[in-house]
Amino acid sequence: MGTSLERGIQGFIEQVDRPTASFFESCVRCGMCAHACLFYTETGDPKYTPIYKLEPLRRVWEREYTLFGRIKKWLGLSKPVTEAELKEWEPLVYDSCTLCGRCSLMCPVGNDIVYMVRRAREGMVAAGVAPDGLKQAATRAVKIGSPMGVQLPALKTQIAKAEKETGLAIPFDKEGAEYLMVLSSAEIIEFSEIIPAAARIFHAAGVSWTFSSDAFEATNSGIQIGSSDIATELVSRIVRAAERLKVKYVISPECGHAYTALRWEGPNLIGRPYPFKVIHIVELLDELRAAGRLKTEGMEDEKLTFHDPCQLVRRGGVVEPPRNVLKMVASNFVEMEDPGTLNWCCGGGGGVSSNERADELRLKVFSRKKTQLDQLGVRTLVTACSNCRDMLEDGLEHHRMDIKVVGLTEMVAEHLKQ
Amino acid sequence: MHEPETLGDVLAKRGVSRRGFLKYCATLASLMALPPSVAAQMADKLTRATRQSVIYLSFQECTGCLESLSRTHSPTLEGLLFDLISLDYQETLLAAAGHAAEEARANAMRANSGKFVLMVDGAIPLKDGGVYSTIAGRTNIEILKEAVPHAAAVIAVGTCSSFGGLPHANPNPTGAVSVGTLMEKGLIERKPLINVSGCPPIPVVISGVVAHFLTLGTLPELDGYGRPKVFFGDTIHDRCYRRPFYDQGKFAKTFDDEGARNGWCLYELGCKGPTTYNACATAKWNGGVSFPIESGHGCLGCSEPDFWDAGSFYAPLPAPRAPLSAAAGAAIAVGVAAGAAVGLAGLYKRKKAQQAHTKLTVDDLETEKKP
Repeated sequence: MGTSLERGIQGFIEQVDRPTASFFESCVRCGMCAHACLFYTETGDPKYTPIYKLEPLRRVWEREYTLFGRIKKWLGLSKPVTEAELKEWEPLVYDSCTLCGRCSLMCPVGNDIVYMVRRAREGMVAAGVAPDGLKQAATRAVKIGSPMGVQLPALKTQIAKAEKETGLAIPFDKEGAEYLMVLSSAEIIEFSEIIPAAARIFHAAGVSWTFSSDAFEATNSGIQIGSSDIATELVSRIVRAAERLKVKYVISPECGHAYTALRWEGPNLIGRPYPFKVIHIVELLDELRAAGRLKTEGMEDEKLTFHDPCQLVRRGGVVEPPRNVLKMVASNFVEMEDPGTLNWCCGGGGGVSSNERADELRLKVFSRKKTQLDQLGVRTLVTACSNCRDMLEDGLEHHRMDIKVVGLTEMVAEHLKQ
Repeated sequence: MHEPETLGDVLAKRGVSRRGFLKYCATLASLMALPPSVAAQMADKLTRATRQSVIYLSFQECTGCLESLSRTHSPTLEGLLFDLISLDYQETLLAAAGHAAEEARANAMRANSGKFVLMVDGAIPLKDGGVYSTIAGRTNIEILKEAVPHAAAVIAVGTCSSFGGLPHANPNPTGAVSVGTLMEKGLIERKPLINVSGCPPIPVVISGVVAHFLTLGTLPELDGYGRPKVFFGDTIHDRCYRRPFYDQGKFAKTFDDEGARNGWCLYELGCKGPTTYNACATAKWNGGVSFPIESGHGCLGCSEPDFWDAGSFYAPLPAPRAPLSAAAGAAIAVGVAAGAAVGLAGLYKRKKAQQAHTKLTVDDLETEKKP
């Protein structure tokens, strides 16, 4: 069937739900969301004002759903949204929004702006107006099984390596295990240290867990490109695998949007509650800590800080768990300015880092993170999201900053009590 | 009479640092919504100002206002500033008594004629020739008639002098009226009048008004009741920290129910916050410690005219207060109908769009270069 402008506009009409309509109605145009968004603060360009990124959706809402909009449409006084306008807005909706949700938090009238950006992307993708990088990633995710084209043999190789390194057997397709572990592609290719780290921690804490050969990819390009249809297809794979293995929990890996996709969007996408729970690996570590099952020794003594992944703190409210865990192994942990729910995004989330066209912009706006880090003068930066980690490493290199980025899970694994 | 000592001299003597004083001025400036640059000007002007002569007349009142202003329990900068105006006559605080006291008033009026600020505390009785309140054998109205023509401005301190207050309450046996009413009736000369209402008013409101007069030489902008807008611009309700509970419909029903313990809105217990304009919720009382609602009791509406006669303090405010006119009722009905129609049409439109939805697959996504 392909994509078309008509399909896109129809998509917008479909996406205007009651919250969206009331958000548009209650926007007072104060512009506070601009100051919440690093794409505005770092460029000073008013087109990056979050609510402005929603202009096509807002116009469709006004034309189709409001009394005056309908009268204007009927009298021929308002123009329909054109394909050229959608193309003009494409960089605003995709390149300059990481779905970080800081604008939603700042909005004085409580408009969930990021919720609307997510919805606007539904219409954009139906109109075929989405970045090639994201289209390709989504296609690979559906057809190959991973946005980066990673397949099962690659994971098996990494697992074999981890088994050799740790001397532990890593369970695969074990029915009745308590936890199902899924990963992000980046953790299979670039940050594979997570696999032996998780194996050692779970072994030490006596956690019954398994990988699945049917579903090992947790990321969800459907969420990033903004297609619920594609997102449903991807999340269903994990749900099916979890149900087949009869696990009680699915562990979301160190990946922000994978957590949002699994934990928050998933049940709405498939239209029913899960028979299992979704828990972020950092939440699990904190639970193990609280239960006295996670025992560590030694401390990192150098000054370090923690970068809060947006999806974890703002969408998920997971603020304390990473800190509790980090404090077990770091004696000189300092907070960045605006920590926790107000943390600034790395600049690469929400599909921005899969979109080559946005490369220059995301590296430019990394200056916000640079400012935060410069104030602290740390040499080590801990985080709990492989996408943040990728972006942080890019940004640090681009800005010639000598700071090492470490995943929280690996840091804990290094201090496990022998 | 005092030596013409400047405020700066006195502050220095009392060990108030310039920094402390600047901070105080900044607070006053921001409270009165003046630009930040005014704070320094204000400090400068105030430091160099000779003390403003003030004559403070007390009529039918309870001295609560003076208690609030002098706040002897903890000398604050407001207290200091209050000391530092040249309070030439205030019978409660005056050391002299009898003829000597009356002479002091006459002297101050003569010496500062046209320059002094007249502060009036308490309502003025008019019935039976005003015999219900006299000082040194003269009625309040007589004293006021004599003083007002020489004053630069009149500040009515407290609800009694602003609106009549308790003495004015039904059935008003003494025929008490406010200073404003006397001016309106032509019984005393018209002068710039500022009503600082409240039973009693908040100390910082008084010092703010006095500081405004000393620095800018004018009275601040007033609302329809002659009250300074900067302090009486918002209702208690608009600035109340319990407002979110009102918005969520969470109300305490008694003073000892779960809602009361959870700090929910006191509207149903008769809180007059929604109709009362004052700064209690922001400036607070006792040096910013608390205000009635924060202590668990609704607002009585003490800074509003006729608050004693507005029904029980514990009866909830009727909403809306005035009966709807037929036209307004019809307009509401039309609005509701139109809103419902548009809403239903919207729901139908969205449902249709959802039904027309065809599943998007990755095969629909055309890219410029195939993956």
